[in-house]
Amino acid sequence: MNKGILSRSPRNLLFIFQVLGLTLLLIYKGKDIDKLTLGTAVGLVLVIYLSNYILTKITSGDNYIFLITTMLVSIGIIMIYRINEGLGIKQLIWISMGIFLFFLTYFIIRKIRIWENLTYIYLIGAYILFIITFVFGDRKHGAINWVNIGQFSFQPSEIIKILLIFILSSYYSNKDRWKEIKYSSYYLMGIIYSFIMLLFLQKDLGTALVFYTIFVAIQFIYEDDRKLVLINIGLSIFFGILGYTLFDHVKIRFQSWLNPWKYIERQGYQITQSLFAIAEGGFFGKGLGLGHPDFIPVVYTDFIFSAICEEMGIFTGIGIIMLFMILVYRGFKIAIAQRNKFYRILALGISILFGVQSFIILGGVIKMIPLTGLTLPFISYGGSSILTSFIALGILQICSEEIKTKEELDEAGD
Amino acid sequence: MYNILALLFKYIFIIIIYLFIFSIIRLIYLDIKGMNVVSFDNKAYIKLINRKDYLPYKIEEYYIIDKVLTLGRHGENHIVVKDPYISKEHFQIVEDEDEYYLEDLGSANGTYLNGDKIYDIVKLQDGDIIKAGQIEFLFVNRK
Repeated sequence: MNKGILSRSPRNLLFIFQVLGLTLLLIYKGKDIDKLTLGTAVGLVLVIYLSNYILTKITSGDNYIFLITTMLVSIGIIMIYRINEGLGIKQLIWISMGIFLFFLTYFIIRKIRIWENLTYIYLIGAYILFIITFVFGDRKHGAINWVNIGQFSFQPSEIIKILLIFILSSYYSNKDRWKEIKYSSYYLMGIIYSFIMLLFLQKDLGTALVFYTIFVAIQFIYEDDRKLVLINIGLSIFFGILGYTLFDHVKIRFQSWLNPWKYIERQGYQITQSLFAIAEGGFFGKGLGLGHPDFIPVVYTDFIFSAICEEMGIFTGIGIIMLFMILVYRGFKIAIAQRNKFYRILALGISILFGVQSFIILGGVIKMIPLTGLTLPFISYGGSSILTSFIALGILQICSEEIKTKEELDEAGD
Repeated sequence: MYNILALLFKYIFIIIIYLFIFSIIRLIYLDIKGMNVVSFDNKAYIKLINRKDYLPYKIEEYYIIDKVLTLGRHGENHIVVKDPYISKEHFQIVEDEDEYYLEDLGSANGTYLNGDKIYDIVKLQDGDIIKAGQIEFLFVNRK
């Protein structure tokens, strides 16, 4: 009986899944797999298993969020490796670094307790990152959001996402102090709108949408001045219509969502290929390595979900959606249980980030909402995306613990 | 050969993913079920009136009165409140023959019952409001 429970614990299931996936990829690639890659992959499987085990020992908080995300990561890496070996190896390294950063963030945030007073530093950091993007940015898939430093390229907007959550949390948790400045909420709104405008100018519509949703959600919960929430929603409708009439790239997105078949040659190509792939897979998929995910453009990042649906079936797709739902549910539960207001808003912001980002891109590839380029957190290929997602997860992990206030810490020390 | 294996594995993958989701949901369910849901039937208790979010220290929403219930800043009280306006031993509620009595334990800032400062032992009625420092409790005894 005891053994039965043990083998069915999610940690072991995850382990079995990874080992099976690795075996299948080994057979698929045959002899031309090199030893280093194999070593890294086996190492990662062990690291994930151990991390999940160690985490139950060191944290008094949530044990599920890391499990769920490592499952998502495993599904993602299997698919990426199958599509492109080189990117798969890189992704292995990104994930290893991500797990390392997860623990690093966890310990740093746990040790240092000044995060709620650094609002101006977050603000300056965010603007500096925006300036860097504009000065050194490269254009990729229609959006200027990449910065190259030597060999590496990264997306500053991914880091700004986390800074945004910190700005909002530090503002609303110190509401009394900020009230001394007249119209401080209006200033905050102006700042967030300036972020959104900058993203719009970079043509990074998906990220702009994520920023806006996080802001509206937190404002809706914590703003005392209810008028502002209404103004915010009104402005979004105004800007939405303005954007549609002024900017061609918004119009194209919208038209190719309404009727992609009419523009199948050009604008509608991505979305129709994605739909073909999902339809081709059916309930149980074609089988790993037997489909044609390479027909879909940008399949490693934005359209990874379609590729997974094609080869592993719509059931896996539904599974991924369910995993994201449990993750977001856990995030909200963490936020509700947290007593410290700063960490509560932080947890809320991160849960909304994961939820909204996955909703926007999943909805986009299945043609439920207009498609905007975003990565699917934890699954898509991409260094910045994986690393920032793991940093955000580390923060969420801290938020799931009971945060002692300074006074309580002082008394415990006496 | 590989094709057969791939076909087989796709089913196994889906089964494992769903087992994984199921086991996590089961654990979460057990977690929620395990949370102490206390029934308040036939028991007297005090309920916190302040919004929990606005109090910067740890405090519960409900406290059941079992014979005696003490409140104070000191760690040995039933309700420990880390508030500078609360004395080390602030007040206690004692049960005696199905009646409940509120007694101030010589606190510096006093205990208030329905807005009046108490000096002696006072009998509690259902719906009374007890105030100490900035926290307020509602006394409930539905018998």
